[in-house]
Amino acid sequence: MKCEWVRENITLHVYGELADDARHELEQHVARCADCAAELNAEQKFHAILSQDRAAEPTPNLLAASRMRLQEALETAEQGRFWHRLAFDPANWLRQVRFSPALASVILILGFAGGVGASYRVFDHPLASSPTTATPTSAPAEASITGIRSITQEPGTNKIDIKYDTVSTLETQGSMNDQRIQQLLLFAARNNYNSGVRMDSVDLLTQKPDVSQVRDALIYALRYDTNPGVRLKALDGLGGFVKDDVRVRDAVLEALVSDANPGVRTEALRLIEPVKADGSVRGVLMTLAAKDQSQYIKSQARTMLAQLPEID
Amino acid sequence: MPADVLAVTLAVGERISSLKTRAERVSGNQDPTRGRMAGQERRIDDTILIREAQSGNRAAFEELVRYYDQAVLRLALHLTGTEQDAQDVYQDAFLKAYKNIGSFRFECSFYTWIYRIVTNLCLDHLRKKNVRKEDAPVVKDASGGEYDLLDQVPDGRAGANPERDLMRRQLGSRISGALEKLTPRERMVFELKHYHGLKLRTVGEILHTTEETAKNTLFRATQKLRGALADMR
Repeated sequence: MKCEWVRENITLHVYGELADDARHELEQHVARCADCAAELNAEQKFHAILSQDRAAEPTPNLLAASRMRLQEALETAEQGRFWHRLAFDPANWLRQVRFSPALASVILILGFAGGVGASYRVFDHPLASSPTTATPTSAPAEASITGIRSITQEPGTNKIDIKYDTVSTLETQGSMNDQRIQQLLLFAARNNYNSGVRMDSVDLLTQKPDVSQVRDALIYALRYDTNPGVRLKALDGLGGFVKDDVRVRDAVLEALVSDANPGVRTEALRLIEPVKADGSVRGVLMTLAAKDQSQYIKSQARTMLAQLPEID
Repeated sequence: MPADVLAVTLAVGERISSLKTRAERVSGNQDPTRGRMAGQERRIDDTILIREAQSGNRAAFEELVRYYDQAVLRLALHLTGTEQDAQDVYQDAFLKAYKNIGSFRFECSFYTWIYRIVTNLCLDHLRKKNVRKEDAPVVKDASGGEYDLLDQVPDGRAGANPERDLMRRQLGSRISGALEKLTPRERMVFELKHYHGLKLRTVGEILHTTEETAKNTLFRATQKLRGALADMR
């Protein structure tokens, strides 16, 4: 039956896809089994023949032509409705603002609220009918408009009064020891809609897990972040505190039991190992060993339990 | 549009160096064959470009395209067999990426994401081709093997060695014929592994399946090919 296993894995071996231990086993077997050695030989020859057939590189002309054609198409293509990613929906929100019927045109303003990578587009339609020049307040060049509080028109005149809120995008630099930087990172870890930014901030925060608010933020990210990459990073930062901090231990246990992502669960299991003798941890391990869906987690839990001394 | 408007800007050097020391610290856990540090720096650039592209920066998107488009074109060319079809797949793939980049959530790498789009388009192409196959003109080549005229990969380069070119073309066409016998998914797994050298774990991610399934599919594919090309020594 070893030969059967070898036959099934010879292709993977030839393509270099076997894990090191499996590869070792296969090589050991083939050294002793003439049939399998012949099979390996045949497979290698076949692979050599197949490998003479290569996928042609696209010619430089083809690549250039494809790029040009794409560029032309991109000029007219529209990106998908990117504003569904905003914290607020401007269309819905404009409906709530009363427009005086005397207004001849609509001022449509799109903006991004705060956050990172703020960009904005301002479509400014000059009032079509009004001959009077409104006093030009400078268009908010650096600021993003987050809300329009009111639009009113003075009766009998062409004057329109608009109150609006803006947020300006600022920049700050510093090291991990700066309070300001830490505060911003903590904010980003919880609040940013862009998981790339959350991941970056959690990643940096893992450098300072001894600050208690940072640890809280990491626990929060581990529990609630929707992106498994972010949760894994948070685990990374918390791992060392499983022994000393019972909140961290609980959070890691929770992740082990109920995280949706198997990678996160596996990592949580690995991190909980140093405290496997703890009562609550042992309890969780027993449940996992008995009933878990994942074969890997089940068997790892069993292995860990087996290493513990029996409780009387 | 100010390309560097970021609320929290850390010097890029500082960022890269902090990531590098992390990489060194955890190097014991990493897969050494993946070139982790270089991979992570590539990841940073992608993240910045993607975020820029997501906020409407077309130049950033075009920069992203340039990093990946040669590989995409090569895949499309080999799978579809003609330059025209390859160009169409290329166009459709990157347009789709452009339209949907807003919904990219960094849950996989951009590499995986773009490959997913391309392979889906190629799978569609393969399935349509299977339907057309019944009527395809079949020709016998010099060695008596059949090949499908539609599958001839036009080799644009003039060969210095015409005889070797002929042999290569014959081999290529026989293999093409054998590849026809695979299901579209088998063909795709084999293509990605054999012609493009991707690890089966990546292939699994691209095709939304497990590494285990990709391994089994590769095994089935090569078995079928061995059967179809049994007389080749």
